[in-house]
Amino acid sequence: MKVAIVGGSGYVGGELLRLLLRHPEVEVTQVTSDSMAGKPIGRAHPNLRKVSPLLFTPHASLGPADATFVATPHGESMARMPELLASGGAVFDLSADFRLRDPDQYPRYYGRTHPHPDLLASAVYGLPEVYREEIRTGSFVAVPGCIATASILALRPLVKAGLVDPQHVIVDAKSGSSASGRDAGPAGLHAERSGVMRAYAPAGHRHTAEIEQEAGVRVALTCHGVEAVRGVLATVHVYSPRPVEEKELWRIYRAAYGSEPFVRIVHESDGIFREPEPKILAGTNFCDVGFAVDPHAQRIVALAAIDNLMKGAAGAAVQCFNLRAGFPETTGLEFLGLHPI
Amino acid sequence: MNMTQCPECEAAVENHDKIQGEVFPCTDCGTELEVLKTEPFAVQPAPKEAEDWGE
Repeated sequence: MKVAIVGGSGYVGGELLRLLLRHPEVEVTQVTSDSMAGKPIGRAHPNLRKVSPLLFTPHASLGPADATFVATPHGESMARMPELLASGGAVFDLSADFRLRDPDQYPRYYGRTHPHPDLLASAVYGLPEVYREEIRTGSFVAVPGCIATASILALRPLVKAGLVDPQHVIVDAKSGSSASGRDAGPAGLHAERSGVMRAYAPAGHRHTAEIEQEAGVRVALTCHGVEAVRGVLATVHVYSPRPVEEKELWRIYRAAYGSEPFVRIVHESDGIFREPEPKILAGTNFCDVGFAVDPHAQRIVALAAIDNLMKGAAGAAVQCFNLRAGFPETTGLEFLGLHPI
Repeated sequence: MNMTQCPECEAAVENHDKIQGEVFPCTDCGTELEVLKTEPFAVQPAPKEAEDWGE
């Protein structure tokens, strides 16, 4: 299949290139970037130097493809989507522009009115663990945000099982610096960011809307930046209306994810990495989900770890692409990570 | 009966030529399990090494 990448010079674009250039069923025919037009992809992504003769082309030169991956900053695909959809191929939008079904949430969380609210209902939320069949048959996928992915995968099974007081759900998320993107600004300078444990969004983070949409409960989300390049760890605190034992949580999470190719239940009684840990997931498409019971507070702690650029962005997009194209879901996503790293 | 459940996480545990007293980890939760008997197959959490306080 011939695929194009729009906005290929950012970190997510680079990860898409890394995956798709080695995908056995894919030919990357075009990758666009206005800021790097005419330059080889290795200039933006040095890990990809000399693996492909591809040069960045201007957005305006985008041609048709069987599938187009859109990795532009939030707000840019909103206006262009009708044109992209009209080109005929499947579209996988990695921005937030079509993730929310309720157009009223865009002014609240993204500071702008959505120019094409009529298209929101046509976008499938690209979380295969929830919408696998819709993704198979859809031609327009909105790939979830990274913190949202981890939070939803940790939280949703508990909500479905009725183990959540819906008024008191707290998500505490930590993320690495690459989640801020390539143009993070002064806050991302090494001198400013190195060593921080920065509560960059104590309240009101944009992904709150996605998590609430998909988990079906009100969520209090706090996000921190920590000393890592890749990775998201979502720690979800819920208060159960009744006492719960860990065996029941094993049953609930097994029922939700027992046959999922990229979700592993991690809650081990021994070893160094007993609970989900983003560090060992770098470069992989796994989401490790774990849990613990706090009987003292009648609290359940659910944890989910991902690589924000993989299961939190490009890996999820390729997983959705595989489903849509009818390829085995894991094609091109088999990397098992590094240890030690 | 060659199957039983992990008493900690309820994962299916299969008896592949295990012998009574053998200790092995549960593949899901990592708990060290001890084979109580092989027919029917039964396991329990293996005793953990106790701290020696020098008494």
